[in-house]
Amino acid sequence: MSRILFLLKEAMISLRRNILIVVGAILAVFISLSLALGALVVNEILRLNTVAWQQGVHVIAFLNDEGGSGVPIGAHDQLLQEVMGWEEVESAFYFDKTQAWEEYQELFAGQQELLDISPTILPASIRIELVDIELHSSVRFRLEQQTASVRQVATAAESIEQLQSLSNVLNVLGLGMAIVLGVAAVVLIANTIRLAIYARRDEVSIMKLVGASNWFIRVPFLLEGMIEGLVGAALAVFAVWVGTSNLAKAGEDFALFRLEVSQQFFFRWGFLFLVFGALAGVIGSMLGLSKYLRDADGTGPDVPTGF
Amino acid sequence: MIRLDNVTKVYEGGTVAANDVSLDIQKGEFVFLVGASGSGKSTLIRLMLRDEPVTRGKIWVAGKDITTLPKWKIPYLRRSVGTVFQDYKLLPNKTVRENVAFALEVLGRPQSVIGPQVDQVLELVSLADKAARYPRQLSGGEQQRVSVARSFVNRPPILLCDEPTGNLDPKTSVGIMKLLDRINRTGTTIVMATHDHAIVDAMRRRVVALEGGRVVRDDETGGYEAVRAAPAAVFVGGETEEE
Repeated sequence: MSRILFLLKEAMISLRRNILIVVGAILAVFISLSLALGALVVNEILRLNTVAWQQGVHVIAFLNDEGGSGVPIGAHDQLLQEVMGWEEVESAFYFDKTQAWEEYQELFAGQQELLDISPTILPASIRIELVDIELHSSVRFRLEQQTASVRQVATAAESIEQLQSLSNVLNVLGLGMAIVLGVAAVVLIANTIRLAIYARRDEVSIMKLVGASNWFIRVPFLLEGMIEGLVGAALAVFAVWVGTSNLAKAGEDFALFRLEVSQQFFFRWGFLFLVFGALAGVIGSMLGLSKYLRDADGTGPDVPTGF
Repeated sequence: MIRLDNVTKVYEGGTVAANDVSLDIQKGEFVFLVGASGSGKSTLIRLMLRDEPVTRGKIWVAGKDITTLPKWKIPYLRRSVGTVFQDYKLLPNKTVRENVAFALEVLGRPQSVIGPQVDQVLELVSLADKAARYPRQLSGGEQQRVSVARSFVNRPPILLCDEPTGNLDPKTSVGIMKLLDRINRTGTTIVMATHDHAIVDAMRRRVVALEGGRVVRDDETGGYEAVRAAPAAVFVGGETEEE
């Protein structure tokens, strides 16, 4: 117990003595992990939103009214059955004029001038969910061939595809950024530890002289690096969490786009980032230590010279 | 306690610092290593501490061959060998008490053991009243006494001293030598590298003279020079007179 306390005390003394360098290393970890976690959050927001779109309606075929313009009674039902038989279609359902009016009222609630129309002008529609979003152009083409029944075809697929490709780019960017910045954080911690060892070279030399084991000498530096990594990672997780929470509040007015990320996402990634921060600190410390303490049987840079 | 068998040390660049040195030092002996600068005194101390590997030969310390000692076991060797250097090697940001306690803390001794042991050794070196001072607030002699206290607080059976009086005036040196003599009388083996004629001549202990890395003389109770007559042993059994 006294040994653990001694090691912790030594680590804290070193942190305090090199406070400026330590703050620099913590900031480096904080900035790099904030950017990496920020990229993950943006990616998650895009994923959530594209998932919402993808799980909804992909294609809407607005229909001409039955009993007029050469559309016989029962033509809508016949078309629905046909569409449901297409291999690109996962599911499809009929959305009649009454439902269309209800949806319209919901969408434009509070905008009286837009609601001041005759409900009968809104068309019935067939709403289609595709097996694969990329098949939208083929389905659109087939629907447009039904010139008698189909008045217009609308699809959100192009927007979804754009969001998906943006999401893929962000995935690659986020991963690349996390790797590059993670390496930068490790290198910065390694440098900090080297400076800390240099600042404490006399102590290290004396520790070796009085018979401290190599691990006993290393542990305070490893603890120091771990603390730097942990604090930097904790600050990054906290900052991104605060930022995302505020973004979600600001985005509450956007009905079509969710800016909210689940708490579970933060618990999972926050924990992983803390582990990564601590590991980066330990790895950085080991790299920093390797140069100065590689020669385990020397007494360090302060050994007596001459003979 | 310490045995060197045909030990040779050649540094990079070809400098021969120890040349076929053989020595046998018994438990409780006080041995001076004397010789001019560059004769190989400090190298022998460093070889006995396994601070440097030998080029050829064998060294046994407390019955163990330290030339084949794996690196991870070197700290255990150093726990049984105290060291005192010319430049004291004290930590400037720690008090006298903390400097001495440091040697026990790194060995993981509990505070209940460290406290009494540090008090005892500070009494021995007559620095109990200056335990709260920092090294910069002490004279050279006092700093060296702290260094001796730190090297002895763990009660090692062997003490290796490399020019411990090199930075001190003659009067202060006498105080340090009296202290080392007291420690030697507790049964601790002491090997001291020095080129201080007066001390060696006064102590009348075993003298190993080195020249160009070779042992040129090994007298059981000699002086610094082979033919020099030694004055009376004024240090032996005396009390510390310094400050």
